[in-house]
Amino acid sequence: MRKKIWSCVTALVLCTALFVSGCGGSNTEKKDTEKGADAKKEELHIAISANPPSLDPQSVNSNIVGGIGIHIYEPLFAMNANYEPTPVLAESYEVSKDGKEYTIKLRQGVKFHNGKEMTADDVVASMNRWVEVSAKANTLIGGSVFEKVDDYTVKLTVNEPASDIIMILAGPIQFAAIYPKEVVESATAEGISEYIGTGPYKVSEWKQDQYVELERYDEYQPAEGEASGLAGKKEAATKTIVYDVVTDASTRIAGVQSGQYDIAEEIPLDNYEELAKDTSLKLNVDKGGTLNLFLDTTEGIMANQKVREAALAALNCEDIMLAAYGNPELYELNNSWMDPTDTQWGTDAGKEFYSQNDTEKAKELLAESGYNNEKIVLVTTPDYAEMYNATLVVQEQLKKAGFNAEVESYDFSTFMEHRADPNQFDMFITSNSYNMLPIQLSVLDSGWAGLDRPEVSEGISKIRGAASDEEAAAAWGDIQTFLYEYGAATVLGHYTGVSAMDGGVEGVDYLRFNIYWGASAAE
Amino acid sequence: MLSYILKRILSLIPVLFVVSCVVFLVVYIIPGGPATALLGLEATPDQIEALNTELGFNRPFFVQYADWFVNVLKGDWGTSYFLHQSVLEAIGEYFLPTLSLAVLAQIFALILSVPLGILAAYRRGTALDVTAVSVSLVGAALPGFLLSMFLMLLFGVHLQIFPVAGYAGLEEGLAEHLRYLFLPALSLGIVQAAYLTRMTRSSLLEVLYKNFIQTARAKGIKESKVVLKYALKNGAPVILTAVGQSFGSLIAGTIVTETLFNIPGLGMLTLTSINRRDVFVIQGVVLFITLLYVLVNLAVDILYGFVDPRLRPGRK
Repeated sequence: MRKKIWSCVTALVLCTALFVSGCGGSNTEKKDTEKGADAKKEELHIAISANPPSLDPQSVNSNIVGGIGIHIYEPLFAMNANYEPTPVLAESYEVSKDGKEYTIKLRQGVKFHNGKEMTADDVVASMNRWVEVSAKANTLIGGSVFEKVDDYTVKLTVNEPASDIIMILAGPIQFAAIYPKEVVESATAEGISEYIGTGPYKVSEWKQDQYVELERYDEYQPAEGEASGLAGKKEAATKTIVYDVVTDASTRIAGVQSGQYDIAEEIPLDNYEELAKDTSLKLNVDKGGTLNLFLDTTEGIMANQKVREAALAALNCEDIMLAAYGNPELYELNNSWMDPTDTQWGTDAGKEFYSQNDTEKAKELLAESGYNNEKIVLVTTPDYAEMYNATLVVQEQLKKAGFNAEVESYDFSTFMEHRADPNQFDMFITSNSYNMLPIQLSVLDSGWAGLDRPEVSEGISKIRGAASDEEAAAAWGDIQTFLYEYGAATVLGHYTGVSAMDGGVEGVDYLRFNIYWGASAAE
Repeated sequence: MLSYILKRILSLIPVLFVVSCVVFLVVYIIPGGPATALLGLEATPDQIEALNTELGFNRPFFVQYADWFVNVLKGDWGTSYFLHQSVLEAIGEYFLPTLSLAVLAQIFALILSVPLGILAAYRRGTALDVTAVSVSLVGAALPGFLLSMFLMLLFGVHLQIFPVAGYAGLEEGLAEHLRYLFLPALSLGIVQAAYLTRMTRSSLLEVLYKNFIQTARAKGIKESKVVLKYALKNGAPVILTAVGQSFGSLIAGTIVTETLFNIPGLGMLTLTSINRRDVFVIQGVVLFITLLYVLVNLAVDILYGFVDPRLRPGRK
């Protein structure tokens, strides 16, 4: 009797296991034998960390949306590998003498994924929407207007002449994607509802919370010149790119190890060493941006400059960055708000206020300020591990210096709400990706952490009105020094992003986002 | 019988009303709106404010709730801003993977637990019983995510028999469908089996020493028939209740397992819509799950009548 039941159970379980695994096995075997040894895969699977909130790169400031978007849409101008704005959908441009009018010639014969030719009507509709919905465009060139001159020429009129207009048009985050006019006209407050561009890939299917599937666009008309960064002649190497949404990091890692995904983005830095040992994988480490601490300059006890100076004096950025990123190979200690290797904008101005690690000085400053053990609230969110871990270390360092520092931890949406209201935070930390221009930095935006000082707004005008690059760089250096002196905010360090990929993957490029149009994977 | 079922279903209405009201209020109270999630990390407060106003999330609670309620009565459960589809469509789509997963997990659980439970009860006090009880205790104490990751590492990364994560719909073939669901279902099944084994064992123990079993044995009926027909049938209501509860919890969506194995089911939908403050979807999912839970329990109650005539409703 007992034997019977047991053998029944065992048989059943084994049958199911064999049946299920057997079916899968035969499928893959078939695939393997059909292709030669050096054959390339028709499908590239990329595990991404979150479902894109939309596929409208104009209106959403998100790396995931931008990273997918660059494969589908193209702007008039884009950055090449040397960070120079290069025409993509534009052919050339001319600036009027007073610097207020840009006449932009468009490339002819470029077709959208729906087969329609791109003309000035589409460009005017898209660009005017971009100026309105992209926060950065709105801040920098708000009020500018695009008009049609003829079918292949548009005119941009700006309010004030500035040296960086084309740079702004070529900015990669929240980029100025050109959509067909009809798509722009039917867009609602939540964004566009059809995903049609002129890029090397078209959207073939988007299954919410599962995957975005892109397929090579056979009638793609690349711009001239060698492929470089986001510009030049892009060629789709793999027929289909599938972005698999895999929110759990350990699942992304297990998936790339087992070969289910060819590439896994956003590898947690804790796993870096373990994966570096795995010889079947390649790791791409790319410069990402800065981890920053923002201080409330307007409300409560933090409005007192001495208290803020004390806080900066207490920080030891090495410990903070180590806690946030786990491995010294993956971060750099540098006080520049911009990419330190950027010859134009990277500067160490104000470095005497960076990572001072001077508890005694902090205590003195705190005593001078008249601080009376008021509660200092650090808001954060565990949804971004690096921000959360760094916040805990900052809290400890502040406590050591005599601050009554408290951490309030919320989910992402709630954190954003608190972060935006100076009455609800004293400090917060965010990781911000690199910007092309200092005037695009969030820290200079009064809506970000409430910093609203003439030194900043006048400095921005100086940068934009500068007669030479040196003059602009000097003006930016002054702003950076002011940020540190005033205790408004500090860079904690520079971070990198890690992607893991199968050893057989080739041709992945990087400029602000991972670029996959040249990528292919060996079978 | 029919009036009993009708009564049970009618009594659902106030439950659903209270649940919907509470959920709406909770979502209303917690800070951050859909606009924050839609616009991303660097959005300015002005932009968020503008989008919230446009979407109608800045209106007072009662206006929003009444608006939603009237629409629901008309059959319109609202639209998700993220999924670009109606809430009912979304639930329909996300429910299928969960249903498949729950059924498969329940099958695994039953295959493992019922024979084990019966054996443990029948061989009470022996090494077999002690082992079964200890194993089921360990199973109940083991966190689901740990078991999932262990299975994933063993079968997905090392042996590479099953895919690590993901989901294939039924339209891609039954074998492919089951291949993707096997590991998560096994993980869930093992945890549920732990509970069901103990329930089967204890319900059977209660019956096995009753007089009518002795009588049956005295009459010379085959031992297997005594256990499987007389004893098991009498212990069945308790086991059925346990199975109902376990199935209810499986079908309500298993957030952790679905997230780990990347299965686009109700659990994942619940989690992501809470993070996105996608209020209509949250409402829809919670109401749907409440409804399912109550219906599963109702089904169990009705099944009682079949296995044990003494429990038929209306019988004095």
